[in-house]
Amino acid sequence: MLSALKRALGGTGRGLGPRREAGKARAPSPVLFDDEFQRKLETLALVSRRVFAGRMRAERRSKKQGSGVEFADHRAYVPGDDFRFVDWNVYQRFGRLLVRLYEEEEDLSIYLIVDSSASMAFGSPSKFDQARRLCAALAYVGLANLDRVTVVAASDHAGALMPATRGKNRIFKVFHFLQQLEASGVTDLSTSLKTFVAQHKRRGLAILLSDLYDPTGFESGINVLRYNKFEPYVLHMVEPASSFAGQEGIVGDINVYDCETGEEREVTVTEQVLRNVRAAHKEYDAAIQRFCTRSHVPYFAAPADQPFDELVLGLLRRGGVLY
Amino acid sequence: MHFAGYPLSALLGAFGIAGGLAVVLYILKLRRRPVPVVFSPIWRRVLGDRESSRLFSRLKRWLSLLLQLALLALLALALGDPRLGVNSQEARHVVLLIDASASMLASDVAPSRLAKARELASGFLSGLGSNDRMLIAQMDANVTPLSTMTDDVAALEVGLEHLRASDTHADLGRGLSFALDSLRGRSHPEIIVISDGAFPESVTRHVPPRDGVELSFVPVGSAAQNVAITAFSVRRYPLDRSRYEVMLEVFNTNDAPAEVELSMFGDGQLVQTGHLSLAAKERRAQFFPNLAGADRTLEAAIELPPGQDFLSRDNRAYALMPERRRTRVLVITPGNTYLEAALLLDEYLEVTNVKPGEPLPEGRFDVTILDGLSVPAEPRLGGLLYLDVPASGGPLGHRREIRDFGFDRWDEKSGILRWIAPENIQVISGHALAPEARDQIVGSSELGPILVAGRRNGQPFVALGFDPRHSDLVLRVAWPLFVLNTINHFVEEDTGYISSFRTGDVWQVPAPGPGELGWISEPGGERYRVAIKEGRAAYAGIHAGFYELAVDGSDRPPTRFAANLNDLDESQIAPVAKLELGGSEAGEAKGFASRARHQIWGYLLLAVLLVSALEWITYHRRVTV
Repeated sequence: MLSALKRALGGTGRGLGPRREAGKARAPSPVLFDDEFQRKLETLALVSRRVFAGRMRAERRSKKQGSGVEFADHRAYVPGDDFRFVDWNVYQRFGRLLVRLYEEEEDLSIYLIVDSSASMAFGSPSKFDQARRLCAALAYVGLANLDRVTVVAASDHAGALMPATRGKNRIFKVFHFLQQLEASGVTDLSTSLKTFVAQHKRRGLAILLSDLYDPTGFESGINVLRYNKFEPYVLHMVEPASSFAGQEGIVGDINVYDCETGEEREVTVTEQVLRNVRAAHKEYDAAIQRFCTRSHVPYFAAPADQPFDELVLGLLRRGGVLY
Repeated sequence: MHFAGYPLSALLGAFGIAGGLAVVLYILKLRRRPVPVVFSPIWRRVLGDRESSRLFSRLKRWLSLLLQLALLALLALALGDPRLGVNSQEARHVVLLIDASASMLASDVAPSRLAKARELASGFLSGLGSNDRMLIAQMDANVTPLSTMTDDVAALEVGLEHLRASDTHADLGRGLSFALDSLRGRSHPEIIVISDGAFPESVTRHVPPRDGVELSFVPVGSAAQNVAITAFSVRRYPLDRSRYEVMLEVFNTNDAPAEVELSMFGDGQLVQTGHLSLAAKERRAQFFPNLAGADRTLEAAIELPPGQDFLSRDNRAYALMPERRRTRVLVITPGNTYLEAALLLDEYLEVTNVKPGEPLPEGRFDVTILDGLSVPAEPRLGGLLYLDVPASGGPLGHRREIRDFGFDRWDEKSGILRWIAPENIQVISGHALAPEARDQIVGSSELGPILVAGRRNGQPFVALGFDPRHSDLVLRVAWPLFVLNTINHFVEEDTGYISSFRTGDVWQVPAPGPGELGWISEPGGERYRVAIKEGRAAYAGIHAGFYELAVDGSDRPPTRFAANLNDLDESQIAPVAKLELGGSEAGEAKGFASRARHQIWGYLLLAVLLVSALEWITYHRRVTV
């Protein structure tokens, strides 16, 4: 009786925070990257080397043509080109001045973009924690392979940034950066990624770790990366099934509000409504996957309640992310 | 419209409080529980086309409150018991007297007149107006209300279910008095009598004044054929208690001769059969002498061909014979040959002789005879017969000494002097006794009381004021009769004399032992608590058959006794079509046409259910979302 009255007077629901906490995440777990996590990272690094043995080297060829040793192509000579690269053999045979192009060898830039909007902290287990673990794992693999790893937090704006770094021993810097992140704000991938693109001229692999709950549309954010010649990869942080199971207790007259925007809506929830909401969530996830497939953007669903090491291993086996 | 239940002010107050509470709860209910969701556009997509507009949502809330207030208003109205039409001051007040006497069990109207009366009464109930109030009473020898004066038809029907016939006559005068008392000061008073009308003329001639109370009569019954046992008595022969004599009176109330088959059962076994041919309206008393085979109970039954007898209740009669057991008699005497000779006449006496001054023997005695002396009274000594009672130490003193006297006055009904002619007894000397107020003077001379019976501390005594040897009593046959009558008086009390009581009367039943409370077991097995005063229990039995009276804390066996209808008037079951009381004729019951009772509260509660269902479907089935 007392609890019912408390609920009627605006108390909290089961496992759900009050409305005034909209747009603000919980405090990060202090043991997010514990020793066990680090041991798993080592294992993942070793496994990744074994899986990709023979075709994986400590460098990656970029598409950028320049002063490397591997021939790439010819192009017509224009005044100002270095005479050393003129293909005289071709001139002798065809009488045309062509310049030889070589693939320039350079280290890969990996951008790990972590969605830090408030919706990432919704549900239990937290998608935000899962995203940070995945980010740390991928960063470690990248650092271990001497790639340039940059970590960016994004919500409605390009937030905190960990500048590009390389070398395995810098992983603790990554840990520290991720540990400091908080899930807050509204998801606006389009705006935040435009800022990100503007700040990073060096193109590379952009791995987006997000639940893609973007009121303005998830497509525009991904397209920003695509159109600016980044290689986007979507790691979709999927809502844990337990979050929906917990919603079975909200049947009745309630006032739902968005955990990011605080937008309120008085509804009368029935079991049928809950079933429809669950179906709508699935349809939303499927729409994301369809879009990525159409756009040739690699997509990988990462449920928040799945062990992160399994997810990383799955990612590596599937390939295309790092090697 | 007016309110028969709570007054309007109380209803308004109750509605105000409950309505205020409902509004407060409603406001609390409006504060919906906030629940965060991860991505509200999905909810918007799901609910968008179903969500009602803001205006409609508000209207829906207001409708919810209005429905709740409507529920409370309907409930408050129902509590008020609103009535349409005339107000309660103009309501009728009816006392329904239903004859439940023995004649109402006649089967000329299938299944019985009483069942028909119950059916007629049900018709009156369904015909009650919305403001009418009724009281149902059962009328036999007593008047028993079966309900209160109420307009609750269900309660009246329950009362009607408790209507039971008795084996008594109907006391119409008592019933009318009860009804008039119940109707005193009430508006539109009315008495309805449902009966076969078999009331004696002495009753119908003298009825209490009705003072404007309307009287209606509803006759029941169609036939009059009946043959009845109207008297039944049995006695043992004094000197041969194994044999007995029976007197049976049978009355043919028909206008045609009747052939009656008679059976008598002693202790449940058939002991006598016979055939009686009775002329029309003949009432014949038949004696059956020198019968044997029964020890305690005797039951007579008559049987007739079908169609000649519609009332079976008066076809059986019951009688109880005095208990045949050896009576323990203690005689304290210096020597009295006449007394010893008299006691020898009865073989059922167990006599113990003790000289004066000797210690009294152990054990309990039924009778103690004190010959010219007295001893301290003890309950174990039983009844005390004082011969020449002394002036001190006895139950009563002497008034003075008298000489040459005899019995000039005596109580002819007293069993002590049964079969005795006291006027012939001559006495030389003795004492005039000084009885107390409650003592019974059984015999007295012109000089004062000489034979007194009574009780001291519950112990009975009989005191003779002279020595029998100073009279010619001991030379007469009256002497042993006096001694044996006195012993029988102590042992059997009235049950020895009255072999059965009459139903409907108040019986004074001798208790089997000392005590103040006892139980009476009826023929049907029901037990009722009775108070015992001065050794007797007063009880108004209404059923024929054998009864038992037991006293709390007494080690004596219960007293058994019998009761019979034995009512000439009640056995004449010819129904009457009209009832004349005190020279005026009772009318017909009017204004009880069957109709629906206009009690609105039931419909109001139905409306509450409908509104509640509407509210539930609208707000709990969630068909709106």
